[in-house]
Amino acid sequence: MSQLWVILKKELKDALRDRRSVMAALSYSIGTPLIMALVFMAMIDKYASPKTLYINIEGGAQAQELIDYLASKDIKQGGDATVEGGKQDASSKDILLRVDQRFSQNYSQGQVATVTIIADLSNERLKSSVSRLRQQLRSYGSEVAAIRLLARGVSPEVVRPLDVQMQDMAKAEAKGAFLVGIFIFIMIYAVFISGMNLSIDTSAGERERNSLALMLSLPLRVSDLVLAKVLAVSCFAMAGLVLINISFLLAFQFMPWHEMGLDINFSPQFQATVLLLGLPIALMAAALQLCVSFMAKTFKEAQSYLTLVLMAPMGLAMAAGYDIGPDMLQWLPVSGQQKALMELVKGNELPLQPTLIATGVTLSICAVLVAAMVHMLKREKTVFAL
Amino acid sequence: MIEVNALSKKIGDVQALNDLSFSAQNGKITGLLGPNGAGKTTCLRTLFNLLTPDQGTALIDGIDVSDNPMAAKQKMGLFPDPFGLYERLSPEEYISYFAQLSGMDKKSAHLATQDVIQRLHMQDIAKRRCKGFSQGQRMKTALAQAIVHRPNNLILDEPTRGLDVMSTRTLRQLLLDLKAQGHCILFSSHVMQEVSALCDEVVLMSQGRAVAHGSPEQLCQLAGKKNLEDAFIELIGSDEGIAA
Repeated sequence: MSQLWVILKKELKDALRDRRSVMAALSYSIGTPLIMALVFMAMIDKYASPKTLYINIEGGAQAQELIDYLASKDIKQGGDATVEGGKQDASSKDILLRVDQRFSQNYSQGQVATVTIIADLSNERLKSSVSRLRQQLRSYGSEVAAIRLLARGVSPEVVRPLDVQMQDMAKAEAKGAFLVGIFIFIMIYAVFISGMNLSIDTSAGERERNSLALMLSLPLRVSDLVLAKVLAVSCFAMAGLVLINISFLLAFQFMPWHEMGLDINFSPQFQATVLLLGLPIALMAAALQLCVSFMAKTFKEAQSYLTLVLMAPMGLAMAAGYDIGPDMLQWLPVSGQQKALMELVKGNELPLQPTLIATGVTLSICAVLVAAMVHMLKREKTVFAL
Repeated sequence: MIEVNALSKKIGDVQALNDLSFSAQNGKITGLLGPNGAGKTTCLRTLFNLLTPDQGTALIDGIDVSDNPMAAKQKMGLFPDPFGLYERLSPEEYISYFAQLSGMDKKSAHLATQDVIQRLHMQDIAKRRCKGFSQGQRMKTALAQAIVHRPNNLILDEPTRGLDVMSTRTLRQLLLDLKAQGHCILFSSHVMQEVSALCDEVVLMSQGRAVAHGSPEQLCQLAGKKNLEDAFIELIGSDEGIAA
């Protein structure tokens, strides 16, 4: 036990001095949430309709009443570029509302009067603005129709046989569930990314530097050596998980949830659960990465093996995130924890039994990998890469 | 004291050790001399239980390495080739780490580390990280690691390879000091001058077996040559005649 502690302390000291390992752990955990926040902010800016929508109107004199109605709904003629109280989105002027020449005549005679919306609908930026304009035109039409019917002594209800209402059953938290699924996946993946460089450095790297055989010539238990390495890599993995949690909290301050109609926030309980459920994954990830790296002869070889191996947890997390694949995913490592955390975010109870099973499976895989490594390091083939 | 009895080891298709027997006594420097590929490094690795022999035994101070590797390893220090330094640790940290792993508690490891740093005149580099060290500074660090826990038996694999004159002299002096204190020193080499200058006993190895064993003078007599180099060529070249 004391030797395990001595090795662990040395491994951590050595790793913290390795700029490459530290950078690997930091950059993903700090960078990813912030980059996501930036992307969301850019997307909202790009796709959402501006507060006051400026459009071009042709022949507006024909339909002053309509123009006034639209103006009351913040859709205005945008000839001049200066707008009070908000930035002008130049692209909105790409929408042209053409009022038919005989609009006024047809309108006053109670006949169908034509307005045409002209816009490039392949332009994603315009879509929400165009549909907003259509919506307002439609409701203006309904109001006029109602008044006309009333004038003829007919109740407007006659032409409205159905009143379709929607009641959203979803809890506010559940609305962003898909997005949150992605966030959870990104967090769990931090466990794999943060310890990766260290795991290679302390296994394949150690052999490349010729210190592995020297270590094994010392009077220490191979299991102590392996466990210390697993713990050291797990420490980095967990540090990455803690960091990415903090980083997400910061990034959420900047995310435009409101404009997206969402309310996503990670409660302290949720974050504590992430760390708790992340711990067995960190141990398993460390054991997996070390085991694969010990099989490789060089640092580079280990890197390419690990890139392939990391597809497995990514696949499991994705399957759980998109809710595809068999039910057994809830008992497997990574996907099990992902599913459990998603339930929690939706405001449901943590599914205790599947979560415990998934944790048990995760720890068992870790134990098998540790045993495999101890066995490997007792074989001369592994130690000397024969 | 190190005793090797009828060791055999096959690696792949190569019979790396072939019924190898010799002993290295306390208070003596024993050289394992042989051409490249003679099985010297394989022999040393077997002593540390890093390789399991197909046949035969290796005893360290009477302890069978295969039976009780922990106890046997405790009685040995290894000066490896290559050194296997941790570049991001300072010699002080490195030496103390190995002292603790060899069974010392933190306090005595610290004292032993300071002691060996003084002994090898390493005070100027003790707190610098090993990255960028000269070959001589690396050699000292590796040597300090091997002797910090004061093992009875010191094993060196090609110790003078790549060393300058000053470093070689430091190493030589240290080995002579350790010998005077009664330690058993075994080193492998293919450098003739080194062996003849230092060794009390020479084990001449070729193709995995000991072809001759004795003091440098005895080997010269045995081969009927004036110097060890000629004796070496003679003995290795007429391998079968000696064995008979």
